Amino acid sequence: MDKSPSLVDKSPFIDDEEIFIRMNLTERIQHFILIITFFSLILTGLPLFFYEFKFFRWLIPSGQVFYIRGLIHRVAAVLMIANLIWHLLYTAFHPRGRSNFKEMLPRVKDFRDAFEQLMYNLGLTRFLYRRGLGRNFFDRHPYWLFKNPPLYGRYNFIEKFEYWSLGWGSFIMIFTGFFMWQVELSLRLFPLWVHDIFIIIHGYEAILAFLAIIIWHMYNVHFNPENFPMSRVWLNGKITGRELRLLHPLEYQKIAELRRLEAEKVNQPGQPASASHNQAK
Amino acid sequence: MKARPIRFLPGLFLILIFSFFRTASGQTEEDCFTCHEETIKQKISSSIHGEVGLSCLDCHQDLRGVKEFPHAEKLQPAACASCHADLIKEWERSIHARASTMGLARVHCSDCHGGHEVRPATDPQSSVFPLNLPRTCERCHLGQVETPRGQEFIRQYENSIHFRALEKAGLTISANCSHCHGSHDILSIEDPEAKTSRKKIVYTCGQCHVGIQQAYLEGVHGLDYIKGIKDVPVCTDCHLEHNILPSADSRSSVYATKVAGVCSRCHDDQAIAREYGLLTARWKTYSETFHGTASRYGDIRVANCASCHGYHDIRPSSDPKSSIHPANIPQTCGRCHPGASRRFAEGKVHLLPDQVEIPKYRISYIVKMIYIILIATIISIFLLFIAADLGHRLLKGKSHG
Repeated sequence: MDKSPSLVDKSPFIDDEEIFIRMNLTERIQHFILIITFFSLILTGLPLFFYEFKFFRWLIPSGQVFYIRGLIHRVAAVLMIANLIWHLLYTAFHPRGRSNFKEMLPRVKDFRDAFEQLMYNLGLTRFLYRRGLGRNFFDRHPYWLFKNPPLYGRYNFIEKFEYWSLGWGSFIMIFTGFFMWQVELSLRLFPLWVHDIFIIIHGYEAILAFLAIIIWHMYNVHFNPENFPMSRVWLNGKITGRELRLLHPLEYQKIAELRRLEAEKVNQPGQPASASHNQAK
Repeated sequence: MKARPIRFLPGLFLILIFSFFRTASGQTEEDCFTCHEETIKQKISSSIHGEVGLSCLDCHQDLRGVKEFPHAEKLQPAACASCHADLIKEWERSIHARASTMGLARVHCSDCHGGHEVRPATDPQSSVFPLNLPRTCERCHLGQVETPRGQEFIRQYENSIHFRALEKAGLTISANCSHCHGSHDILSIEDPEAKTSRKKIVYTCGQCHVGIQQAYLEGVHGLDYIKGIKDVPVCTDCHLEHNILPSADSRSSVYATKVAGVCSRCHDDQAIAREYGLLTARWKTYSETFHGTASRYGDIRVANCASCHGYHDIRPSSDPKSSIHPANIPQTCGRCHPGASRRFAEGKVHLLPDQVEIPKYRISYIVKMIYIILIATIISIFLLFIAADLGHRLLKGKSHG
């Protein structure tokens, strides 16, 4: 972490040791229920997709266990849907939920961020520049050197991508899963070949979600050297002022600016001092 | 074996005639038992031969007219043929009579029926009474005689539903050795005339399973069987031979979870498929469905081949009487999925992308392809970002460290 360059100046209004709440208790519980239900669904669903896989044959040694597998799958699905509804209500009616949602909305900046982050990490253009290739072009357009990584707000493009993938994926899984559960209803409404497509989508979407979680999410929150062995945000919800400054510089600046304005108001006589803004983050 | 009293009547008649004349030879039973043990006398008197009043000389005919006693040590085999001529004729054709050609001792009447104590097959104490027959055959076939399939193969009969019915319920009509193999006229399975040969086995099982034989002969397999097609499955191909078990028994070859394996032995066999124009990949396409996957995990409630196609009277989908004829599909599927409508028929089961002619049925294949490409692309992008991030951090660590 010490190796990360500070991209924004340290603000006198935010102490590096100050604790901010990145995930409050509600969000942590929702995240925890999601973990449990997601992996229950994966573990009870993938055996249908990889029916030749030895591990699953060991896990499901008999028809009775297979039946229980289906039961767990449906219970977990219902729980996950309940969790989703809770999250939707929280997003719609809770001030913090609404604020998170606004921050989570995808913007053009996110696509630019993804591109810039990748180019910055690859460092190809800086390498060419050092070798003296295309100096004229790069001197005129220093943007293409990607000297600094992009600055992120409360949620970076990675987190937004994960969030919206989860949203879209949930919709697909719930829709197709419902008709797989209610197969008689499905086949009253649709011909068999449409029902077959539901089954295919449910399976492949699950594979996609599973791979996205174990590759993308696990890397970003666990194996990324920045967080290794694990970011503890999902457990205690806490993030320090320093982490905020390094990882979410725009959010850091926003809070610092708010506090600066508050401080100015306090300094002007006749204006009442307002409470702490720690809750803003 | 079943008792056939009519057959005994001529024999009994002969015995009665003999008994009028036996004193003429000069010897009496008393003479024999001056030397021979009383136990033999007891055995004879409790046997069917004793009951009808046969004397020693009626069977030991080579002692007739002998004056010198004690007689020769070794006597001729008992003269069963003098009364049971027709049964002896049957026996002479049997593998038991020809055992010597295989280097084995001939199996004689007494080996199965006993000697002095011989009793009719209807007598519960008889060695050939239905409940006792398996043990009698096993005296040689477990231990002494090696069969090409090994002794385990013989022993499997003891696990079968046929044997259990004999043993547990004393159900004498349940198949024992002789029901399937014959009794006096036992032939090798390789002999086309054997009751157990491919040519005869359906009718052999049909002796008891009349309705099933009839259904089988009306089905697609049975029709080909009648034509003499050699690859068509007969009873024993699906149900096995000695270890026949009811389909509800998890060890049965036709247990719900094993049916697909049994059918695909032929229906996924490339050579058979080519010769008879069958579609293959039935096992694979079934396994990919929920039915097939669940079945492979041991779920017995899901549909297997027989649930949709039937079993003994399997018919092609073109046959209006077939359970998978388009008109009958709602009813067939409806057995498990109540309220199944005609929409159940609007789609292909056992779908292979290259076997689909109807464009809309290809959509599922296209969806699958799209997903595979999508997954590959997204995961590649993930890996690219991760590799770039890791690479950057490692290089930076080096230059700063």
